Amino acid sequence: MQHKPTAKRTAIPTIPQRWRSVHIRPSVYLAIVLVVFLGVIGAAQAAGWWSTTGRTTTDGVKIQITGTNPTEIKGWMTIQDVLTAYHVSKADLYTRFGIPNDTPETAQLKSLEGVAPDFSVTDLQAWLVERASGP
Amino acid sequence: MATHHHPVRWFKRGTSTLRRLTQGAFTLFIGFLVVNHLLVGESATTVTTSAEAFCPFGGVETLYQYVTNGGTINHTHLSNLVLLIAVIALTIVARGAFCGWICPFGALQEWLYAASAWLQKRIPSFGRGMRALNKRLGVRPARLGMLPESTLIQRIDDILRYGKYAVLATIIGGTISYGVMVFRDYDPWSALLEIGALELTAGTIVLGIVLVASLFVERPWCRYACPLGAVIGLTSQLSPVRIQREGNACTGCTLCSKRCPMGLPVATMSELTHRDCVMCLECVDACPQPGALDLKLVIPGVQAPTSEGRH
Repeated sequence: MQHKPTAKRTAIPTIPQRWRSVHIRPSVYLAIVLVVFLGVIGAAQAAGWWSTTGRTTTDGVKIQITGTNPTEIKGWMTIQDVLTAYHVSKADLYTRFGIPNDTPETAQLKSLEGVAPDFSVTDLQAWLVERASGP
Repeated sequence: MATHHHPVRWFKRGTSTLRRLTQGAFTLFIGFLVVNHLLVGESATTVTTSAEAFCPFGGVETLYQYVTNGGTINHTHLSNLVLLIAVIALTIVARGAFCGWICPFGALQEWLYAASAWLQKRIPSFGRGMRALNKRLGVRPARLGMLPESTLIQRIDDILRYGKYAVLATIIGGTISYGVMVFRDYDPWSALLEIGALELTAGTIVLGIVLVASLFVERPWCRYACPLGAVIGLTSQLSPVRIQREGNACTGCTLCSKRCPMGLPVATMSELTHRDCVMCLECVDACPQPGALDLKLVIPGVQAPTSEGRH
């Protein structure tokens, strides 16, 4: 029985390396990865430069709505917070964003995205900026 | 003859397991945050951390806002900036390790591709169908330099890889212009974190496309569209760590290219400094020749010994 001749595998030549290099064991590499990644996070936390929520400052102080800068508005704030701080009427807000009339003013802004397709916190911020700069 | 300071075979095979365990641990952490946020929820008195607070790309999106006025854009926090810094530091030290060892979305795509490969072996008709499709499209398991020319699908693959830089530029431009997360509605990772909301959004459609594509192409999102991958790819050029191929030890078997989850032609390269390399070390793990592929720390400024000196 005759076998079909197969092509001999040949490695593609490599370019000589210019700089000296040292071998790294994969386990050492993993250790470096974890130390650098988690180390930066740990250092930031130790320095107090860490926050995973918009409800509090890095010092743990609860954030309050001031009514001076719409970019401060967060999804956890309520409709009532916005109405009060930015002196907006409920009718204006509900009409502008198509919010159902039976939505309570105690509802959080982020919950509105599900009931009012025209609403987003970002659009609300833009609207308030527009109102503030308008005539 | 090449020097033998390499790990023994059993350890090399263990690298893959080590990596999957690491990926699994980070994925479990994010999974816990998602489930906790969904089940416990938030109220005036209860605060649960959203998994979005642990996305490094949120740091990219809010960086301009933070630098210009000290605040963060919606859905982002200081944690996003810290994670971005951690990823940049990690990339400078260890190249694409975040993508290959930590990113849960990359892990998910890899696992789906592995599941597809497993099914192809056990369901003969599925396996035959996939092979026929690959043949028809001109997909080869690995792109080898010794082949006469790349196929049309490989040229398309090469072009599509620039997509992630276009996505990155669009997001940065949009975020600076509008001050909001312009990409969030289309972001498959964000959609996955919000999957409990059971809403059909543009993001869930993109997520569905990515997950289905993962059955056919390994890490499709990472290859073509991940904006964080684009940031990491560009930053990785500063890293002194890389995989080097020793031509004298390499036999040209191309197992390394076949195992690369990013579809890189490892067998044709002298060293892996490609922006898409995720440093998974699968190629090193797959290589049967001691010393042919090795993970190295390059010391710039110190001349390498001549080939005579090395042998």
